[in-house]
Amino acid sequence: MSVTHTMTVQDPIGLHARPVGQIVALVRESGVAVTLRDSSGKEASGSSALKMLAMKVKHSDTLEIVVDSDDDAAGLSLAKAVEALVNEG
Amino acid sequence: MDITGIGVGSRAVVGDVFVLNTSDEVYEHRPTRHTPAEEASVLATAIATTAAGIRDEASAGDDTTREILDALLTILEDPELQEMAKPYLDTGDDAPTALFKSLDEFAEMMGDDEDFLSRVGDLRGIAARISGWVRGIAAGPSIPQEGSWIIVAEDLTPLETSQFGSSVIGVITELGGPTSHTAIICRALSLPAVVSAKGAMQLKQGESVLVDPEGNRVVRGGSMSQATQALSFIPESDTPLITVRANIGGLADAEAAAATSARGVGLFRTEVLYLSAQSEPTLEEQVASYTEVLKAAPAGKIIIRTIDAGSDKPVPFLNLSEEENPALGIRGFRLNHDHPAFLATQLTAIAQAIDNTGRDVGVMAPMVSTAGEVEDFAALCAEAGITQVGIMIETPAIVSVLPDLEGLLSFVSIGTNDLSQYLFAADRMHPQLGALNNPWQPALLRTVKAVCDHGSRLGIPVGVCGESAADPLLAIVFAGMGVASVSAAPSAIESVSAALSSLSSSKAEIASHAALAARNATEAEAAVRALFA
Repeated sequence: MSVTHTMTVQDPIGLHARPVGQIVALVRESGVAVTLRDSSGKEASGSSALKMLAMKVKHSDTLEIVVDSDDDAAGLSLAKAVEALVNEG
Repeated sequence: MDITGIGVGSRAVVGDVFVLNTSDEVYEHRPTRHTPAEEASVLATAIATTAAGIRDEASAGDDTTREILDALLTILEDPELQEMAKPYLDTGDDAPTALFKSLDEFAEMMGDDEDFLSRVGDLRGIAARISGWVRGIAAGPSIPQEGSWIIVAEDLTPLETSQFGSSVIGVITELGGPTSHTAIICRALSLPAVVSAKGAMQLKQGESVLVDPEGNRVVRGGSMSQATQALSFIPESDTPLITVRANIGGLADAEAAAATSARGVGLFRTEVLYLSAQSEPTLEEQVASYTEVLKAAPAGKIIIRTIDAGSDKPVPFLNLSEEENPALGIRGFRLNHDHPAFLATQLTAIAQAIDNTGRDVGVMAPMVSTAGEVEDFAALCAEAGITQVGIMIETPAIVSVLPDLEGLLSFVSIGTNDLSQYLFAADRMHPQLGALNNPWQPALLRTVKAVCDHGSRLGIPVGVCGESAADPLLAIVFAGMGVASVSAAPSAIESVSAALSSLSSSKAEIASHAALAARNATEAEAAVRALFA
């Protein structure tokens, strides 16, 4: 089972190095598989800094955050934590 | 022999040269005699060991540097990177070679992503340390903790400046300009520096040099007695020759400026109110912000600049699209074409704040280049009820059409930073073009003079609100040319005011003639300095 959360990137320079580093740390700590997917279907694992940067996510892009979790509430809260890092990191 | 460059700071210092360069051996592409699997395991260990070392060193530093280094290390530690290195290891490259090639491959994939490009140098720097660890070469010797060293380098990255301890007393870089990373860090750390110093890399490890930022030079074997004295001006009158105002970005600056002798505000950068807002502030919110700032600002006239944003300085709610050349794109007043409602609201808010406070306020538009734009802006101001209308002089184009603007403007204000960038077609942030952006360049000074002459024919005052006016000597030169007011950051107000209160208008005119007659920036500054030494 997985939880999918859709978000809009608000950071003016998109998804950049600093939040990517923080997302990797968060995802590793959670021990859960997290995938970021953009509107063109390009995907990156939330534990791969390189792949996330290579998605070249820009300001106002739409992103899907997919969390592999049976617990909907926990999955959604992890997805929202990732969203917060994307937009505030 | 002297090496000339651009000085940062005013204090001179003598110390021994420590050349911070990375040995070529570290970057060399080398084959290996080991198996790909052995090299892969060397690479994994080298990355882990170096990363731990860097995290350890950074733990004592400031938060921003630590977060940046941490993000970079996360990229290098990504197992994906080691996957990318595999094909190179399989064809016989050693671990460092495969690492450099994978980083190059990744950098190519990132294309022109600016955030990433600005970090590639740091990533390669860390990769060089990894390589040094594998190959047993010191990847650029680390700065000794003891002694008094002048760091000499081509240019410095955040990774390098983060290693500066108390043994670093000065900096010389071959590249970089007055607004480069190195200059900003040196100013923040109060380290005397000379940047854009051509020939710096010829300095020898351990040789004694005088870093003389006030003289924009490095003297090999020089002593403190040779240091260019910071000029001190003794005020002879209570009022400066021309009006000195403050540059502010918001309420905190307005309050800081009110504590100085500034007579009003020469530049209120309003974009600061919008850059961090996710949605457009309402008219009421804007009126409240402007009223607050106008109330706090120092007594005297206040010049407000309408929003100066662009794709490199994006305002989230305006959805500015990416551009190939943001400095030459949709910015400043050009935004009005796609976002007319935004500027109309901003002008209405300013007009209401003027009503609320009764302050004497002029409003100017940034980045205009045709008479038509000036007419449009004047019409918008009239509609909002703003009577004192001005423009920023930043493009060479607007300078030549100033005579056509009779009756439209109450004042103009020169932004020397952008005027330099557009006059010389030289990116302000480019590490190798610092010398072209030197405000003492004769072409810039002569353009300022041309604006003064146009202003006097139109019967309107010319102000200078660029960073150059924070230099007391340049402020004197501007006064001598006929500039009516200069403005600078609150921290520079007292030194500029003192300089402008220490001399007669005829002395200022002599200074401006000396500067205008010079054939290059170094001569111009030296000629003016000689008048006051």
